[in-house]
Order: sequence, then structure tokens, then C-alpha cells
Amino acid sequence: MVRAVPSTVRITAFLFVVLTLVFVLAPLVVVAGVSVSESQFIAFPPTGFSLRWYSAILTSGAYLGAAWTSLKLAVLVTICATIIGAGAAITLHRRRLPGAALLAGLFLSPLILPTIIFAIGLLMLWSATFGPVSFTALWIGHTVVALPYVVRTTLAVLAESDPFLEEAAATMGARRWQRLVFVVLPQCLPGLAAGAFFAFNISFDEAVVALFLRTPDLVTLPIQIYNQLEFSPDPSVAAVSTLMIGVTILLIVVIDRLLGIQRFTGA
Amino acid sequence: MSSSTDNGVVGTPTLPPQGVSTRVLGGIAEDATLSAPGVFLIVLAFILPIGQMLLLSIENAGGGLTSEHFTRFLGDSYYLGIVWRTLRLSLLITVIAAAIGFPLAYVMAHVGPRLRLWLIVLVILPLMTSVVVRTFGWMVLLGRGGLVPFTLWKLGFVNRNFTLMQTESAIVIGMVQVLLPFMTLSVLGVVMKIDRRLEEAARTMGASFLATLRTVVLPLAMPGIVAGSLLVFTLSVSSFITPSLLGGVRLPVVAGSIYEAATKTLEWNFAAAQSVILLIGVFLVLLPYLKLTGRRHG
Amino acid sequence: MSKIVATRRAVLNAGLGLTVALAASGVISPAAAREKLVINSYGGAYEQIHRKLVIEPFSKKYDVDVQVITAYSADALAQLRAQKAAPQFDVIHFSGGQEVVAAREGLIAPIKPDELTTAKELYPFAIEGLSRGEGPVHAVAAIGLLYNKEKAKKPEKWADLWNAEYKDHIVLTDLSNSYGLLGFLMINKVKGGDITKADPGFDAVKTLLDSAVVVATSPEMQQNFAQNDAWIAPYAQDYAYTLRKAGLPIEFVQGAEGTPAVYLTANLVANRPNQDLAKKFIDFSLSAEVQAGWAQELRYSPTNKATKLDETVSKEVIYGPDAVAGLVRFDPVAVDANRAALVERWKKLIAK
Repeated sequence: MVRAVPSTVRITAFLFVVLTLVFVLAPLVVVAGVSVSESQFIAFPPTGFSLRWYSAILTSGAYLGAAWTSLKLAVLVTICATIIGAGAAITLHRRRLPGAALLAGLFLSPLILPTIIFAIGLLMLWSATFGPVSFTALWIGHTVVALPYVVRTTLAVLAESDPFLEEAAATMGARRWQRLVFVVLPQCLPGLAAGAFFAFNISFDEAVVALFLRTPDLVTLPIQIYNQLEFSPDPSVAAVSTLMIGVTILLIVVIDRLLGIQRFTGA
Repeated sequence: MSSSTDNGVVGTPTLPPQGVSTRVLGGIAEDATLSAPGVFLIVLAFILPIGQMLLLSIENAGGGLTSEHFTRFLGDSYYLGIVWRTLRLSLLITVIAAAIGFPLAYVMAHVGPRLRLWLIVLVILPLMTSVVVRTFGWMVLLGRGGLVPFTLWKLGFVNRNFTLMQTESAIVIGMVQVLLPFMTLSVLGVVMKIDRRLEEAARTMGASFLATLRTVVLPLAMPGIVAGSLLVFTLSVSSFITPSLLGGVRLPVVAGSIYEAATKTLEWNFAAAQSVILLIGVFLVLLPYLKLTGRRHG
Repeated sequence: MSKIVATRRAVLNAGLGLTVALAASGVISPAAAREKLVINSYGGAYEQIHRKLVIEPFSKKYDVDVQVITAYSADALAQLRAQKAAPQFDVIHFSGGQEVVAAREGLIAPIKPDELTTAKELYPFAIEGLSRGEGPVHAVAAIGLLYNKEKAKKPEKWADLWNAEYKDHIVLTDLSNSYGLLGFLMINKVKGGDITKADPGFDAVKTLLDSAVVVATSPEMQQNFAQNDAWIAPYAQDYAYTLRKAGLPIEFVQGAEGTPAVYLTANLVANRPNQDLAKKFIDFSLSAEVQAGWAQELRYSPTNKATKLDETVSKEVIYGPDAVAGLVRFDPVAVDANRAALVERWKKLIAK
């Protein structure tokens, strides 16, 4: 720790963090409040207290099925996007390939173009080439959308890495793959972790590509929520969101207890 | 670029026996292999479908070439106004996210690992709720008689009917909340790797806390801030659900206009033209940014 | 457009081998033994009732699988158009006049009146579109004025929207929403305009803008009545009932100048293998029993003359030849031809 950080700075930092958290979490508190409302429609402050929206979604095959689809999809997308993104980021960072700038633009492009255009284009191309859309189509679509996040976060971390480490390893006789696995990849880890997290989240929350690529058997959780909201919004969507928050926190606590997750966020 | 091409050669005291050219070629082969899956995916599953859509932007009803969709957009102050609003709000959102995200990441980097874990969790929680539901939370807080306008009214700043809903402020507030994690985590990844001894050295040499932050930490954190800004800016330019729900139909943004043209009036050619314009606009704004990252890498 | 798709396809074929392997490894639903029909429905309460009234009885009667994709009309049409090469829907329902576009682009196939056993029981307006290649109208949502009976005086006519007493409590609906479009066309008509001459309507709306909220979707409408002290809004009869069921004191009034309506159609998708079954499904949706159910459950007005309704329900829908004759119908083809221009002008008018 840097010595003697002035106490005014400490107090300011504390207040700043608290205010930021209030800002970030206030709407979620409202959502949690709505989810226990007795009322038929979404309103705040909630009227009465009831857990009926929770029992409604937990007994609804549509919500559970959609949650399962989303989870499966997000995990597969995260794995693919992280592996593919790591390779891309490492090569972009080394800048040895001809046309590296073009390549960098290529890997950034899905971030800029509105997903609606991508979604329609992908559906048209897929229908014309393979016929009906499937889980694979959505998997590929989400991987494309998630890829730039992994590439960007990994590149940022690599920019601060020590370029001489790999060189040193080469001098000591490490082979290419050894340098890659034991020197470069560990340096990427914080960026890859952040990228993987974003990839998971993007896929789990993505509604536009999933809207166009849906079939009767392929409905993700955001689409299920959207379906409910479009016609008759009720507090069940708030309950779903609250549950998702709860499950996230629970998962993190459990993983932390079992594996000591805080080590991964350590320096 | 050339200086980094032979990254592994220059300054290496003992050259491996196979010689320079094979090494460089080997490096290129390695990189080509590493990036192949990504290039393959982006070209086949992104450039191809999106290219076919973007071609629509220069196609008229009969299938011939035309620039009518571009002139319709560029010749109309209404659409130019939408572009202006989109870029202006996105820049503002990016600046605010950076102004909150950098100090937040710095604090996170300096607390214990357990507290850091929980701060990360709390900051990313908004991402775990569906965008529509989360936005509803803001509607309640910012709407007429909601917590924020009510407090402002009680404090005597505004009149009773004051609402923040359907204002540009609401768009900025809602967008910063969702995009903050992208900024914070991007910066955190970099700040965590900064050598603490550098800060200590600066402090020992007599620099004040704030001076150290400005002259040592901030420059070193730049790649993270740039990466985060890039994410936040492009995400806010291309998002339409939050702006349309919080800003309402009377404050349209480009992505919303594209969505409308694509799904409501089904003018796909016009939607494609708007996307091309958005793409060019974003690229022009990002050019200095990309140059900056390029230099950091070089 | 299809030309481009074709060239792209040629390019893609090179990489086909690899991607086919990917596709094959994906989840492929087991081939159903029974015949299958894919339709769209509108989600939420509508879809529940749709399942109860049409989908489940139909699958039982013909021993088939009916699969539902929840998709609103605009999304459904966009998806149908993008999937033109390989459509997944067999029957597609529209509520915003999208059948005109779909028929023109060859996305849906024409149905002959004699292919429907119910055709003779339907009001003429319900099968009028068949000659243009569109599907029949299976339900009607009347557009009028919704008002909060606890807060506001009951409005009598469309022109009452401009009464000072409703100031700051008016909700208008965006033209991208079909209820909003019809409401606007009626305002335009009341003020002396017609489809090709919309200045009176836009001028009239302009005077309301400062004291009104503009929303784009039904949930926003609900929120404004439930949360934001809205008193009056031009909107649909069925939605007034939905709000009432949710516990809000909302009533529906037909404006004295006339009642426009949104026509819900069931359309046969082109280039699908089992069109006979799809036609049976559409025919089934038009039966008097099904339509009575829609009126009973959600207050959609029937298009089948033989529909029998009890007194409470019949008062809350457009029921009987006289009431139906009083419906204002805007020519769907003209509406479609002017839609994009109207929407754009509206957006420019309301933009701040």
C-alpha cells in the first residue's frame, strides 16, 4: 500500500463508492420491490406483499425452458468467444501479420453496426443456405456479437504487459507453444476473464439476434421476458430479474467458498 | 509496425540456429493460425450477412443502383439532428462513465481481494437484469412524482409536475448505469497490473496523492480507459432499447431509427443506408482513439 | 435482394462443408410423428386465450402438433421476409395491416372463399382482402377513447380530446403502433382530412403535443394510466378491458364521429408443404364459437355473423350488423401506400 494516503482522500473515496453503488443499484431495488407486489400490473411502490409471481415463474415451463436455453447458449458462446478472441487479441497485439490494422477493424466491427441489421442479414443468409434456423445459428450469431468484447479487453491488458518476457523465454529456449501457453496466456488472463464475463452477459441479455432467430423450440430468457412485456406486462418479469440477481450473488458466494474466487480478482 | 514485426529478433543476444527469416515466417504462421478461427468466423458469419444487408443501401426498388437513401437521410435536418443527438449523448455517456469508472477501478484495485470481489459483483449486477425491467426501475425513480423529482421538488429546485422521464438526462443516466461495468472492468484489468512501486516512488519523491494519480496512474491506466471508452461509446451509439424507453419516441436516436425502419415500416434499404452512415460517423469519431491504441501497441 | 442472396450463396458454398458439420452437431429437434403446424401468436394473455380457444382444440380435433412463436405483427413480418428462402411459419397472424405488404411480396398465399367453410357466415369486410391475396379477418379491435372514470369526465366524441379539462393528462400513441395509426387517421378524418391529405390531422395533433405524453407500446400505455396520472387516450377497446381486469378504473367510449378498427387477420404462408392443414386452422379460427370466446375473454369483436354473445359482452364489443355497419374502415391498400410517409412526418412532428 502506498503510504500515508490523506484521510480526506480516503473519506472522499468512501463517499464516492457509496454514491456510485446507490446510483447503480437503486433501479434494481425498485425491481425487487415490484416483484413482491400483489398487484396485477407493474407499479411502484408495491401494493401488498405476495410471492405469487415467484411461484408463477418457477412453475412456468416457458420461463424455465427459456432460462435453460439461455444458460446453455451463454456458456457455449463464452467458451467459443474466449478461445477465438484470445487468439485474435494475441495476434493483433504482436502486429506481425500483414494488414494488422485492417484486422483490428475487422474484429471491432460487430460492436459498431446495429445488431438489428446483423440479425436480419444472418437470418437471410442462413435461410438461403441452410434453411430453417437452429440453435447453432444463434450460437454463431451470439459468438460474433460477443467476440469484440473479449478482443478489446484482452488487448488492453496486453498493452500493459512486458514484451520482453516472451523474448526472454525464447532466449531460454522455450518453444513457440510453450511461450504461448506459459508466458503469453497468463498475461492475458485478467483481460480474458473480463472478456469472458462480458461474453456471457451479452449472450444472456441479447434480445435482437435472438428475436430474429427464434423458432418454437428456441426461445431465450430475454425473448420470453419481451414476449410477456409486449402484451401483458405483470410483475413476473420483475420476479425473473430479481431471481437472476439472487442466483448471481448465490453462485458467486458458493464459488468463492469452494474455490476462493477472490484469488482471481487479486493482483 | 516493422519495429514490432521482428519483436523476437532485435536485441536477442543469441540467435537460434535456424536464422532470421524462418523465425519471422514461423511467427507469421503462428499468428495466422491463432487468428484464423476469428477471421473465419467474422468473415463468414458477420461480413457476409452484413455486407448483403449494407448492399441494400445503394439499391433502389427495381434492383438498380441509387444514392436516394443517402440523400434522403443527409438532406433532411430531422435525420441529421438524430445523428447529432446520438453522437453528442454517446460522447457524454462515455465521458461520465470514464469519470466514474476510473476512480472506481482505482479504489477497487487498492482494497482487499474480498471487498474487491464484492464491489465488482455490485457494479455488474445491473447487467444481470433484463434491459426492459431495469429501465422500468428508472422510470419509477425518474418519472413524475418519482423519488428523484419528488426530492428535487421538496428541496425547492423544481415544480411539482417536474419529470426527468423522456428527457436526454434520463437517457444519459440509464445508459451510464448499464455501461459503467464495461468501463470499470476494462480499467480495473489494467490498473491491477500497474506496479505499485511506481506510485510509491512518486510519493517518496514528494508528489502529492493527486499528483501521483494524475502523472503516474492515469497515463499507465490509459489503455484500459481507451478500451473501456471504445466499448462504452460504440455500445451507446448502437443501443436503442434504453434510449427509446427512457427518452421516449420524441427523442429518437440513430439505432432506434434504424430499428423502426427495419421492423416497423420495413424500409430495409433505408435502414441499411442509415447503418452505413452510422458506421462512417462512428469510425470518424473513433479514428483518433484507434490511432491512440495503435501507438500504445507499437 | 434475392439476387444478392444467390451470389452470396455461391460464395458460401465453398465453406459449406465445414459449416454443415457445425450445423449437424447442433440441436436438431426430433422429427415429430404427427403433422406439424407453426403459427405466431402475440404473447401474454392473448396467447393464453389463443391456446385455449384455437390451438389446443384444433390440435386435438385433427391430431396435429401446433407450435407457437410469440411474435408481434411487425416482428413477424420482418422475420417472414428475411426467411423468404425457407419460411418457418405455416399460418401468420397480423394486426397492423401487414398482410397487404406480405401479399404484395408473395410471402403469403391467396385463399379462395370456397376453401373456407365459414366464408358464408362472415361479414363481407372480413373476406374482402381474399381477392388481394390476403387472409381473412378473424377479429376486430375497435378504436375509441379510453378514460379514467375516477379522475376525468366521460368524453363523448373524438373532438373532446381538445377540451381544456384533459390538458396534461392525455396519452397519444406513436404511429409505428397500429392502434396509434388508426387513432391518428380518425383524428385526421374528424378534422377534415383524408389519407392522402393529412395536414388537418397533423395540425390538430400539434396543438395537443405540449400537454400530452407520446408512447409507443401497450405496456407504456398501461404505465401511464397506472403510474403517471393519465386520464384519456385514443386506444383500443380490448386494451381497455385488459386494463380494467388489471384493476384500473378505465372505460372505453366510441367517439360520436365514428369508430375505426384494427383488423386482425390470419394468413396462409407461401411455399410451405402443408397448406391444406394451415387452411383448416384458419377456417377453425373463424368459427362462431371461437369468435365468441375472443369477445368473452378479451373483448375482440367478432367477424362471424353467427357469433352469439351474452348481453354484458355484446355491449363491450362491436356486435350485430348495425354496429358493424357503423365501423369506419380506412382502405388498407391506401393506408399501406402512405404508411411510411405518414410515420416519417409524424416522427418529425413529435421530435423535440
